[in-house]
Amino acid sequence: MTLSARDLSVRFGGLQALAEVSLEVTPGRILGLIGPNGAGKTTLFNCLTGVIQPKGTVVVDGVEITQLRTDERVRRGISRTFQTPRLDMNRTVLDAVMLGYTPHLAQGRLACFLGLPSVGRSEEHLRNGAIEKIRLLGLGGAAEDRAGSLSLGQLRLLEVARALVAGPRYLLLDEPAAGLDESDRIRLADAIKNAAASGIGIVLIEHNVGFVSRLSHELLALVNGTVVARGEPNSVVCSEKVVEAYLGPAYVH
Amino acid sequence: MTRSVRLSRISPVLIILGIAITLAIAGEVRPSIYATSVTIGFFSLLALPLGLLYGQGGAISLAQGGFAAVGAFTTAILTVKFGWSPFASLVVSVGLPAILAFVIARPLLRLPELSLALVTISLVMIFKVVFERAERLTGGYNGITGIAPLPIIGVERSYAHWTVWTAVLIVAYCYASYVESGRGRALNAIRVDRLLAESTGTNVALELSSLFSLSAGIAGFAGWFYAHYIGFMAPDSLDPTLSANILFMVVLGGRKSVLGPIVGASLFTLASDLLPGTVTQGMIFGSLLIVILVFFPDGIVSPGMMRWTRRRATTIPEAKNTPGVRLERA
Ligand SMILES: Nc1ncnc2c1ncn2[C@@H]1O[C@H](COP(=O)(O)OP(=O)(O)OP(=O)(O)O)[C@@H](O)[C@H]1O
Ligand SMILES: [Mg+2]
Repeated sequence: MTLSARDLSVRFGGLQALAEVSLEVTPGRILGLIGPNGAGKTTLFNCLTGVIQPKGTVVVDGVEITQLRTDERVRRGISRTFQTPRLDMNRTVLDAVMLGYTPHLAQGRLACFLGLPSVGRSEEHLRNGAIEKIRLLGLGGAAEDRAGSLSLGQLRLLEVARALVAGPRYLLLDEPAAGLDESDRIRLADAIKNAAASGIGIVLIEHNVGFVSRLSHELLALVNGTVVARGEPNSVVCSEKVVEAYLGPAYVH
Repeated sequence: MTRSVRLSRISPVLIILGIAITLAIAGEVRPSIYATSVTIGFFSLLALPLGLLYGQGGAISLAQGGFAAVGAFTTAILTVKFGWSPFASLVVSVGLPAILAFVIARPLLRLPELSLALVTISLVMIFKVVFERAERLTGGYNGITGIAPLPIIGVERSYAHWTVWTAVLIVAYCYASYVESGRGRALNAIRVDRLLAESTGTNVALELSSLFSLSAGIAGFAGWFYAHYIGFMAPDSLDPTLSANILFMVVLGGRKSVLGPIVGASLFTLASDLLPGTVTQGMIFGSLLIVILVFFPDGIVSPGMMRWTRRRATTIPEAKNTPGVRLERA
């Protein structure tokens, strides 16, 4: 039971965005992914989710999924959030989160057309589940508001809620804490810890090194598409290459 | 939720029922109005599924008229040349365009919006050429005459009116139900942002080709009805301009709402009845479309107009564990 990527390489024209990057995350574990801007962190997520096709292989729970489409991977239990939130700003927060249920929707097309009562009941059920997750992330008061009225930080929380309702086995979070105030950050950290405790394997991209080291079981540092350090959070943060290329000497003191 | 959600699904249906009854009353007073109302209903049947496909799913199709022509020719050939009963041919008139659409949709739907429009209009051109050339089956340019009227309905205009408007009501109800379901949510995501839809687990190609196929099947039904109502079918009867006009109705009336396509179909039909000459019509329709879209980008009937129903449509428990209380902002 792992989500593992082996030797992923991606080129954008002359730019080597990823060079033979491997990673592994197991259920219940949190893997922090750090590195400077343009290091290739989001690109790595895009490879895992099938948005771009890398060289190398991606395997989930023993099955190679390198050739699968994005939506097929979601159905196999890989959900993600986006660094720049993607959603319909004109719909409600609740509606945006409920979109996360799509991969396991128990509503047949025909039933939806005919407006059968079973669809209504299913929606009711999903709505309650979504509200629970929305509250968990502190957006309870905004459930009925237009998504467009939220702040950028709140939109990222919304994306986390949406990814969670899909019931993923692996969760890829792209800078979910950016732009959050202290109380929201604590709430988010709790949500991430609970998700891991419930058996979800998590990859967390995060620039706030303190936040990510406290939360992660393991860190992986990327610089220019190459893994420069991996392992126990404190040792990665103090490793020479990470300090040099990313954190700067000031960080160590 | 249930009561108010059902209300928001039923209210457009009630409005359409109101339109149908009004037209019927007018038709009883002045029978020529029935001819207009049947046309409006026919156009609405073609425009409604396109509204769902384009307005909700973001995929433009200029093939609705073409699929109607396929449905019409199918029943014309099967009933006139092979002696089928119209109800047996109905299955083929609906099924053939639906299957055809499903098969060609997969490669088409990968195209960007605009090229999709161009490819679908070419498709309709191809249909037309096939109808003209397959003389032995379709009668070529002359078409097929003597298509028998439908049993019971016959040539009675008020029956035709109620047949077509009942179909419109059913399709409108299905449209509204679909939009409110989880599948409708996924469809909306496809239009807003394909990557979002894929990343939340939607098989975009399957979703859109199913809808494209469904629109074609409904168009096939409309064509079937048309052929038996008019009694004659030629390549020019439902020509490629019809497909373009259907898209025009959807955009003008409002591509994002259930009522939009019907309002568009009504305005189009009334305007074509009142305005002289196709050239003048083209000019007036063209300028009308530009003016409306400048001021109302979503068309005449926009979802914003119905927002109050939307707002009441969902009741969610209050944040502080008091289930069943409505969240209503001051
Ligand atoms: N689709 C693309 N086409 C071309 N270049 C790309 C594409 N996506 C990313 N890049 C480039 O690849 C490099 C890695 O980008 P990526 O978004 O993965 O960085 P990142 O580590 O997520 O950075 P940040 O912390 O700023 O989010 C960057 O130089 C970026 O400009
Ligand atoms: Mg990034």
